[in-house]
Amino acid sequence: MEILKLNETPVRTSRNFNINNIKLENVKIPEVVKNFTNVKIKNETDKIKIDSNLDELFLNYGVGNIFVEQVKKIANKKLKITIDTKIKKEVFIDFTLDEENNNLIDNIEIIANENSKATIYLKYESKISAFHNGVLKVIAKENSNIDVVIVNLLSSSTNNFLSVENEILDNAKVNFVIVDFGGNASITNLYSNIIGNEAENNINTIYLGKDNQLKDINYICDLKGKKSNVNIEVQGALKDSAKKHFKGTIDFKRGCKKSKGNENEFCMLLSDKAKSLALPMLLCSEEDVEGNHSSSAGKIGEKQLFYIMSRGFELKEAMKLIVRANFNNIIETIKNDEIKNRILYEIDTILD
Amino acid sequence: MKKTNIDEINRNIYDIKNKDIYDYKSKKGLTKEIIEEISKQKSDPDWMREFRLKALETYNKLELPTWGPDISELNMNDISIYVRPKSKLNNSWEDVPDDIKKTFDNLGIPEAEKKSLAGVGAQYDSEVVYHSMKEDLIKQGVIYTDMETAVKEYPDIVKKYFMKCVPVYDHKFVALHGAVWSGGSFVYVPKGVKVDIPLQSYFRLNSPESGQFEHTLIIVDEGASLHFIEGCSAPKYNKVNLHAGCVELYVKENAYLRYSTIENWSKNMLNLNTKKAIVEKNGQIDWVTGSFGSKISMLYPMSILNGEGSKTEFTGISFAGKGQNLDNGFKVVHNAPNTSSVVNAKSISKNGGKCTYRSLVRINEDAKNSKSSVSCESLMLDDISISDTIPTNDIRNDEVEFSHEAKIGKISDKTIFYLMSRGLSEEDAKAMIVRGFAYPISKELPVEYAVEMNNLINLELEGAIG
Repeated sequence: MEILKLNETPVRTSRNFNINNIKLENVKIPEVVKNFTNVKIKNETDKIKIDSNLDELFLNYGVGNIFVEQVKKIANKKLKITIDTKIKKEVFIDFTLDEENNNLIDNIEIIANENSKATIYLKYESKISAFHNGVLKVIAKENSNIDVVIVNLLSSSTNNFLSVENEILDNAKVNFVIVDFGGNASITNLYSNIIGNEAENNINTIYLGKDNQLKDINYICDLKGKKSNVNIEVQGALKDSAKKHFKGTIDFKRGCKKSKGNENEFCMLLSDKAKSLALPMLLCSEEDVEGNHSSSAGKIGEKQLFYIMSRGFELKEAMKLIVRANFNNIIETIKNDEIKNRILYEIDTILD
Repeated sequence: MKKTNIDEINRNIYDIKNKDIYDYKSKKGLTKEIIEEISKQKSDPDWMREFRLKALETYNKLELPTWGPDISELNMNDISIYVRPKSKLNNSWEDVPDDIKKTFDNLGIPEAEKKSLAGVGAQYDSEVVYHSMKEDLIKQGVIYTDMETAVKEYPDIVKKYFMKCVPVYDHKFVALHGAVWSGGSFVYVPKGVKVDIPLQSYFRLNSPESGQFEHTLIIVDEGASLHFIEGCSAPKYNKVNLHAGCVELYVKENAYLRYSTIENWSKNMLNLNTKKAIVEKNGQIDWVTGSFGSKISMLYPMSILNGEGSKTEFTGISFAGKGQNLDNGFKVVHNAPNTSSVVNAKSISKNGGKCTYRSLVRINEDAKNSKSSVSCESLMLDDISISDTIPTNDIRNDEVEFSHEAKIGKISDKTIFYLMSRGLSEEDAKAMIVRGFAYPISKELPVEYAVEMNNLINLELEGAIG
């Protein structure tokens, strides 16, 4: 079986560090797929145009060529979401993979036109062994403000590949919340092209890994506009023999004067077999910027656990509380209570 | 604010060239025949000749790194790998030939030896020309000699340790080193002996289009301690010179070693050096590094914490100016319980120079209750320079405390304004801020080197920022 090398970092480091890419063996990639029918769009409004007339797909990065090509050739769900105005109602797009729809290859484009505002939820869910390969492109034009919440609740026997790219123009803002709980191998690539002056991108991610799950997260943010900002916050917990690779790059390109980039990654290790690998990169070709990153890993503090347990909680419940507390800042940015409660429920279930 | 630029830094004493006079200079290139000839010239024992030839085979098999700075301009066919100076090994400066002695006088080595060192080794091109150590250390059983003498006089120790810590298959330039190594220092500190005053080896490359491949092997036995200082420099030539040295350090149980380096190679030098330490139970290795010279540098000292309770600290600064690409950093592997590592790395880039901090922290499955704390800060002094931070953090058990933080930025205008309001000129204010930035590193250096570093910072900053 072919070994796939995926999710390459924009700058290579020593091969011995095992972080330049992720190697996957025995990945079954479907060659022919049926039309995907199990998608539900809630709160559809005439203020948002949803169709399937996408332009030809072009990605700067992506999870890997083979997956991008697959989306180009045989995507079985295409959605182009055009937002022209400020929309208060949140839009929900739920993909449920089941026996009839066990392969999802989706190509989604969100275009936020000037001065528009919207919140879009994309939820991927399966209880069976399935396959997901998706591309999401977000174009935020001048003064637009777009929130995208991506929730991965795929089964732990489903491989999940997601390539995200966004382009942010002057004064526009894109907020991502990515909840990465599901999948056997869950490979996410996010390229953020922050072109505009005073453009902003916030990427908040929570992940949970159990059994032999693998999370490979690769975020690449190019700051090009003046006074632009990027904030990456990644909080995760790993139990059993789960593994996480986090690669986060903030690249201050020449000319992005007075820009700021912050990156914070914390991994809670809940088992002595769990493994955390991180490469938080700061690349800088511009003098007048501020860049910070921090990365930490470790187990839950014994004092913290002791305190909570002394209040009558069992160990497992105490651990759940601490994980939830660490995720709380990110979960609280999700406005929808149903999604929020679902995420809390999943945390409880996974950590049981 | 007004910007002024200077083209090239006046490296004064470092750039004084001697005539390229030598006793023997190998043909340019890297072939089996050249290696055999060098081995013959050096009167190697058979095992070392065979070792070199095997290392050459490994070199030919290994790829160039697929990451880091572009080193495609390096062509081994343009480089003489062995240059024997017209001097034998001496233990009195009086016996060192005048031109070579003058070079080391200019660098202040004999003076420093008198004032503050317990022993000195001085290498000129491929061979050590001077080696000496204080009598009381000899009486305590400390061995400090050149590597060639060690191969002949202490073959059992050398065979046991030579290129075991850094095996030849580690990477291509280690294999190259294994094939062509020449010169360097061998230090053995017996059990319980505390060497209070530092030993220092100084490496000077004078010959153009040549390479220096010194091997440093230090064993600090149980309960012993040592501070070893390494200095290196070369005058600038138009074509590339190559430095591919290798440092192997063995720190035994309860032993302590501090390894300080001031690297000030000329700006035509490719510095592809390898340094590694293996630390046993409750031992400690501290690295202090100042990296100022070289056109390209790829240098990542490594601590392997094999013993329970072993420790390492890395304190380093890189300063890249015009035409320089300094890709430096640190690697640590925690293999045992209760180990700890502390990293404090800083870099300054200016005039189009590029600094990269590249690192690895690996805490393996058995290293329970280990701690690692990494801090790196980069200062950009203009908008044409580059500063990258590429740290890899690999945590393989849950009983750890690991944290990494990095910052990139410029000198704050508010701070400059504050200092100028106290009567400092803009340039003095900036130099003061940069010295303050470098202070946590310079305070770890021996005084003479701290002074040298501050002078270098003044020199490098003069009229160069704004």
